[in-house]
Amino acid sequence: MKTVRVLSIATSLAAAAAFTTAAQAQEVYKIGVSAGLTGYAAAVDRAWRDGLEVAVEYVNSKGGIMGRKVQLIVEDNKSEPQEAVTVYRKMIGSDKVDIFISGCVSAGNFAAAPFVTRAQIPMMLCSILPPQPDQVKWAFSFLAPPRFEVETRYAYLKDKTQIRKVGVLHDPSPYANLQKDIAVKSAANFGIEVPVVEQYKTDDADFSPQLSKMNAAGAKAVMKIGLGGSTLTVAKNIKQLGQDTLLLGSVDDLAVFKPAGETLGPQFLFVAAPAQIYDALPDGALKQEIGRFLPLWRAKQGDRDPFWAGKAWDALMVTIAAIERAKSFEGPKVRDAVETISAFQGTGGVYNFSPTVHQGITENPFFLATMVGGKVQVK
Amino acid sequence: MPTLPTTISTNAGLLLRYLPAVLAVGLIAYAIVAGGHFVTLAGFALIYAVFVTGLNIFMGYAGQASFGQNAFAAIGGYASAVLTATYGWPPIPALIVGAAGAALCAVVIGYPTLRLRGHYLAMATLAIGLIVYEVTVQWQSVTQGYMGISGIPPLGIGSWEVTSDRAQLIMLSIVVTLCMASAWLIRNSRFGRAIVALSGSEDAARALGVDVARYKLAAFVVSAVYASLAGSLFVHIVGFVSPEVFGMHMVILGFTMLYVGGIGTITGPLVGAIVINLLPETFRGLKDYQDLVYGAALILLLIYAPGGLASLGNALKRRPSTPIPATAPKGARP
Repeated sequence: MKTVRVLSIATSLAAAAAFTTAAQAQEVYKIGVSAGLTGYAAAVDRAWRDGLEVAVEYVNSKGGIMGRKVQLIVEDNKSEPQEAVTVYRKMIGSDKVDIFISGCVSAGNFAAAPFVTRAQIPMMLCSILPPQPDQVKWAFSFLAPPRFEVETRYAYLKDKTQIRKVGVLHDPSPYANLQKDIAVKSAANFGIEVPVVEQYKTDDADFSPQLSKMNAAGAKAVMKIGLGGSTLTVAKNIKQLGQDTLLLGSVDDLAVFKPAGETLGPQFLFVAAPAQIYDALPDGALKQEIGRFLPLWRAKQGDRDPFWAGKAWDALMVTIAAIERAKSFEGPKVRDAVETISAFQGTGGVYNFSPTVHQGITENPFFLATMVGGKVQVK
Repeated sequence: MPTLPTTISTNAGLLLRYLPAVLAVGLIAYAIVAGGHFVTLAGFALIYAVFVTGLNIFMGYAGQASFGQNAFAAIGGYASAVLTATYGWPPIPALIVGAAGAALCAVVIGYPTLRLRGHYLAMATLAIGLIVYEVTVQWQSVTQGYMGISGIPPLGIGSWEVTSDRAQLIMLSIVVTLCMASAWLIRNSRFGRAIVALSGSEDAARALGVDVARYKLAAFVVSAVYASLAGSLFVHIVGFVSPEVFGMHMVILGFTMLYVGGIGTITGPLVGAIVINLLPETFRGLKDYQDLVYGAALILLLIYAPGGLASLGNALKRRPSTPIPATAPKGARP
């Protein structure tokens, strides 16, 4: 009888151990994504989400992160701050995510930042950083500093053209406003004058008044700051007005650049990210990293622009590097480890994070390019 | 209030009449107990309940149309945000200044626009909402434009701040109760009867001695104060404000809540705010089809409860079998 009891206890213990092991094996690392899948940020944030899905699939096929499979929890914030707060808090409270790798809706990320900070969860962002220092502590941006886009265009005008008067046309988004301020302040460093600064709304259907005003002020180039179809509308307006003005677009999707290039030809130039000019890149670490991501992306998405998706890939790869360095999945330890990651090669450039630098790209990764026959050509 | 002799309420009707309000209160109580992200949803629902209660006074009682209530929410919200985050004011005085500012704006704007009627009034109020939205975007030195204002402190008095989720929800529940009670008092006051009279017919109300322009303006100002309060509550609960918070979607949401909950009723704004906040959450698992199913649910609600959920009980009222007497029974009030 005693033997039977001992055997039954041993069996129970073995079963419990097996159950625990199975539970540990099933443990996942949860990544929360608050993205504007609908609303004004949909084009960029859908690409961000799709890039993350490719990255997660790749990581899981390699066995996950330190033995844990990665699970993506994506919520649509509708590009609205209130909705962003709701979905962030759902992912904190109900889904219990370990980290956020969220999209480009700055206001949404800012609105949710106090709650994320309180929960001590790191945020890897496609947007700019929240303004409060205690919130910046938990946030890391994968967006290039706004001055790089401005400097790339000014440097081209200074070195390759005689144009010294530039009109600035920008949308009211936070990132565009930062670029506009830098464009006005740094123009003199390149021997350039900005006689006209005009703001537009993303749904404006005609830019002829702003372009005419810039032309009348002697501006021979328009620095367009802002995403979306408005770039094509500006290109069409320049052509309709018969102006010989150069249009210098900011970083955007190739789906926007192609028709704008067809409309204006060599008059249209734009800031291109490394992933958009992969074939023209010299051999090296950057090309190698993009080459790791691009085939996976193209297998799923064909010719779709890889830029924003590549940024999402970078965000996950930095997260993995931080977890491996911290040897922990805990939020505070991962946060501390991200601050030690420097010289990390991503598809969007080299990331150098530190306790004082939470916007990882510190060297200008951009090129100035134009469209020739539907293909991107570096100038 | 005695039952009118023309209709008799059934027990089921009575049950249905109070069921939505009881369920709404039950859901808020559940949120307080359960915690989690349900608290966030309940909190937003209560803030919107304040906003819609004000809208209900102007639209439900006074029978006017306003598509610009988001303007007053923005005035209250930004006044609270700027005064507390930028100038270090305590939240309560900032909230009061915001409400006073919204009331003043309502007087200045309402005086000329409320001479309009119907669609013209609706268009004029729509313009007010759009203008204030543009001001919040363009006046960057004060509002920070789309960058928004962060670091807004939670509500509190002195060094005591309402910081925990549950405490905030309890505080919001008290505010909503006070707002609904004040709406009930307004509805049953001389002022309330006057604005209800002008909603039926402005000419008839005027013939009865109601100063139509004055009462319309007063209803507009009162609803603006409610909207301002909702705006202030929002920024103190979330701690951040940007122009998108008070965009056109706020107006659309407010209208939907008002009609789904029950326009002209006391509990309708609360019921509508809770249902409209929770419905999308119920369908969140449907991902891309979430909005589709949400829209279908709203259409069904409006088809089967055209007077709103708070007036469901009226659907089960039946006509009396005896003919209506030609003269009112003794003791009945007109």
